[in-house]
Amino acid sequence: MIRYILQRLGESAAVIALMSFVIYALIGLMPGDPIDLMINSDPRLTPADAARLRAVYGLDRPLVDRYLSWAAAAIGGDFGNSRLHVRPVLDVMPGFLLNTVKLMGLSFILSVAIAIPAGVIAARRQNSRLDHVINLLCFAGISVPVFWLALMLIILFSVMMPILPASGIASVGGGGGIMDAARHLVLPVATLTIFSVGSYTRFVRAAMIEVLRQDYIRTARAKGAGPSRIVWVHALRNAMIPVVTVIALSFGTLFSGALITETMFAYPGMGKLIYDSIMGNDYNMALVTLLFATAVTLAANLLADLAYAWLDPRISYAAGEGARP
Amino acid sequence: MTAPLLSAEGLFKHFPLRGGLFGRRAGKVHALNGIDFAIWPGRTLALVGESGCGKTTAARAVAGLIRPDAGRLLFRGKDVATASGNDRKSARRAMQMVFQDPYGSLNPRLNVNAIVAEPLVIHGIGDGAARRDRVAEVLAQVGIDPRDGERYPHEFSGGQRQRIAIARALAPEPELIIADEPLSALDVSIQSQVLNLLKDIQAARGLAFLFITHDLAVVDYFADEVAVMYLGHIVERAPRAALFAAPRHPYTRTLLAAAPRPGGGKRRPGAVPAGEVPSPIDPPTGCPFHPRCPRAVSACRETMPILSGGDHAFACHNPEPVP
Amino acid sequence: MTDIVRPTAPPDGMLILFARRFADHRLALASLVVLLALALLAAAAPAAEWLLGVSANSVNLTIRFAPPSLAHPFGTDELGRDLLVRLLYGGRISLAVGIAAALASAVIGTIIGLLAGYYGGKLDALLMRLTDGVIALPLLPLLIVLAAVDLTKIGLPAELARDPDVSLYRMVVIIALVSWTTVARLVRGATLSVREREFVLAAAACGAGPLRIMAVHILPNVVSPIIVATTLSVGNVILLESVLSFLGLGIQPPIASWGNMLTGAQELIWSAPQLVFWPGALIFATVIAFNFLGDGMQDALDPRAITR
Repeated sequence: MIRYILQRLGESAAVIALMSFVIYALIGLMPGDPIDLMINSDPRLTPADAARLRAVYGLDRPLVDRYLSWAAAAIGGDFGNSRLHVRPVLDVMPGFLLNTVKLMGLSFILSVAIAIPAGVIAARRQNSRLDHVINLLCFAGISVPVFWLALMLIILFSVMMPILPASGIASVGGGGGIMDAARHLVLPVATLTIFSVGSYTRFVRAAMIEVLRQDYIRTARAKGAGPSRIVWVHALRNAMIPVVTVIALSFGTLFSGALITETMFAYPGMGKLIYDSIMGNDYNMALVTLLFATAVTLAANLLADLAYAWLDPRISYAAGEGARP
Repeated sequence: MTAPLLSAEGLFKHFPLRGGLFGRRAGKVHALNGIDFAIWPGRTLALVGESGCGKTTAARAVAGLIRPDAGRLLFRGKDVATASGNDRKSARRAMQMVFQDPYGSLNPRLNVNAIVAEPLVIHGIGDGAARRDRVAEVLAQVGIDPRDGERYPHEFSGGQRQRIAIARALAPEPELIIADEPLSALDVSIQSQVLNLLKDIQAARGLAFLFITHDLAVVDYFADEVAVMYLGHIVERAPRAALFAAPRHPYTRTLLAAAPRPGGGKRRPGAVPAGEVPSPIDPPTGCPFHPRCPRAVSACRETMPILSGGDHAFACHNPEPVP
Repeated sequence: MTDIVRPTAPPDGMLILFARRFADHRLALASLVVLLALALLAAAAPAAEWLLGVSANSVNLTIRFAPPSLAHPFGTDELGRDLLVRLLYGGRISLAVGIAAALASAVIGTIIGLLAGYYGGKLDALLMRLTDGVIALPLLPLLIVLAAVDLTKIGLPAELARDPDVSLYRMVVIIALVSWTTVARLVRGATLSVREREFVLAAAACGAGPLRIMAVHILPNVVSPIIVATTLSVGNVILLESVLSFLGLGIQPPIASWGNMLTGAQELIWSAPQLVFWPGALIFATVIAFNFLGDGMQDALDPRAITR
């Protein structure tokens, strides 16, 4: 098992290294390089100046060289400065990260809190009217375009009924306080929750149905356990195995959902940071934040696999290839 | 003495077992341990033995589905592995295979015409019209109405599907048919029909057969020569009559003794071997049969007996006496 | 020779069974109807243009934000263009790009899955690592980067790079590049099981080469899950395209797509919320219809499996 973990960590590290190169190259292909931007802002720069500046910044070196010097600095902990924020990248990130954690954390907890009961109820009353309604709502949740959902919520709660703020994390002009911060979180959290609760509920429902069909449930029933006890104690625990896996695997989509949500609500989190830095040609920031997102998603996948192996003793990763689902 | 159509020399095949961390090998299945046999044109060699003796592996090696670890396969005297592309292709064409499971050996998505025509397509035989004619011809030979060629396999019964499989094997005008237990999955009443079909076809076309089976009654009816296999070794190889009349290897004796005979009656004399067939992963030392052999002597545990004896060859240190 | 034998009575064809089970799934059936209607309407976009006497791109600043009227059944947008006609054309584009990208990713996924499943061994391990790697990437940030790439920097002439038609192909390409993984895994699994079946061995024994085996024997027997997975993926693809177009990185104006009709919609929520509502609602309806459709197909294909 330890060997498996180490192997996976090694692979993940390799993926991140590879991705760093790919992203570095891709970002280099984006419109406008730093020198062009400088020229745009200062028309007095002549082509000769531009060439000289390129040489100074090393922008005329081949891609691999530039990448390697970035990588060398990065390993040493120096990720460069953010152009837009005029500060080292690593100084800027934590604040945004915290905001995103708040947003994603709250939505995640809310989604799971809704999904588990809803999925269980739907599974117990399979094919009943309630089940069909829940299923319909789930489909709606996974089919709605997140950015449009955000717009609709804003229209509903900020325009038509001005009770909630449409953007930011705090009201302009001070005010501060928990209540204010909370009010600003309502719409973004609601958006992200609606986005993810649909798929989580479906997972829980499917897992529960599968488990309820198992023979050992019938055995417990035969032994006289009442229906509620069966459902909540035995089945739920076993249904959690695939649920945990899938939820962790859907971490990546949650991230994408968060990106849009933050951008729509001007919420200063990682998602918005990624978006702004890509669109604003803040190369260092874009590179680091993208890598961070990749690393987090990889970590979530690894944790999901490990949790799956730990929770289900029948799975053994010592058997080499073929054991992974 | 004519030259054999196909000869196998010293075929070895060991399948690695994947196990342990990250696929480290944890033993091997010793499927074939140096077997030799030959098939003459128009004659049938039956390969008999219990499950796990390696007969299916041998059949697949001949058919080219499995590459042996060592040994040679000679078709018309030419080594199939080292032959030129053309020679290899014509060897492939001349050897066609019929499988055990009539439900699995036909592609459910193709109609019968397409299935039977496939060898013709693969080997580039004839054009569209010629192929259609040939397909209709072989279908009729095996007793399937060519008008049903548009239908799909699931519309036919097991026996009919096996006939279609045979038609597919006959289409490219082969010289050798490798039949891997073609009757085992069929109902008993159908078995004799298909067996008779095979016999008729052999007579009509002068085909050679490599017939894999565990059913000695079939061997008695169909085979010219018999080779008995045990744990990847050929332990006895003889013409049919000689084998049935005077088996020399103790294992052959027990096989014959155990075979149900029509009409009931007492068992033929011969001790039933003790224990079960050992696993091909960890075969015994020396002669593979010695743990169960009623005639085992100390030499059997130490050295592997060599197959010898000319036309009626056997591999035993202490063979059954000639009656 | 032996007697000629005829086959036993054929059971119901697979297709009929499938259609019957599918029809039981009312939502899926309804979705099919809805999608066909949408497709027809979208195809009829030029007819609508002609009927109403307007063009999708005719800017008329004097009638901005006009409410619904006979001349403009859905009103006009911020540039005075007829909303209904733009919605219909947008539908064309969104549906076309969605289906094209879904098909393209299915092709990529099928090829990778077939190769991995058939050859096994090192190639399989390599391809599966690749697949896992792509699955593990954060989708939207990556797509944004890919969409933001300046095509002139990879050698495309400037006029071509700015051409809105090129933005269409680009959308299809980059979405296909990241969406093939589900199909690849599915096809690999199905290939692994089909590969062991005897008719594949029979073809190999006949002398069939790998290409023939994969194309004639394996592929037709793995096609049904591919179709279902592809149908289910169209919804996701449409969502991806609309997000990218919304952000201004996808389909470029003046070509209308439902997504880019919403670009800058945040300013409009105060003045003309109906312009925000309609394009998104149509995206919503289309995606949910494709999801129901795919779900119905999945149930019809294998009623015992728990899919929902």
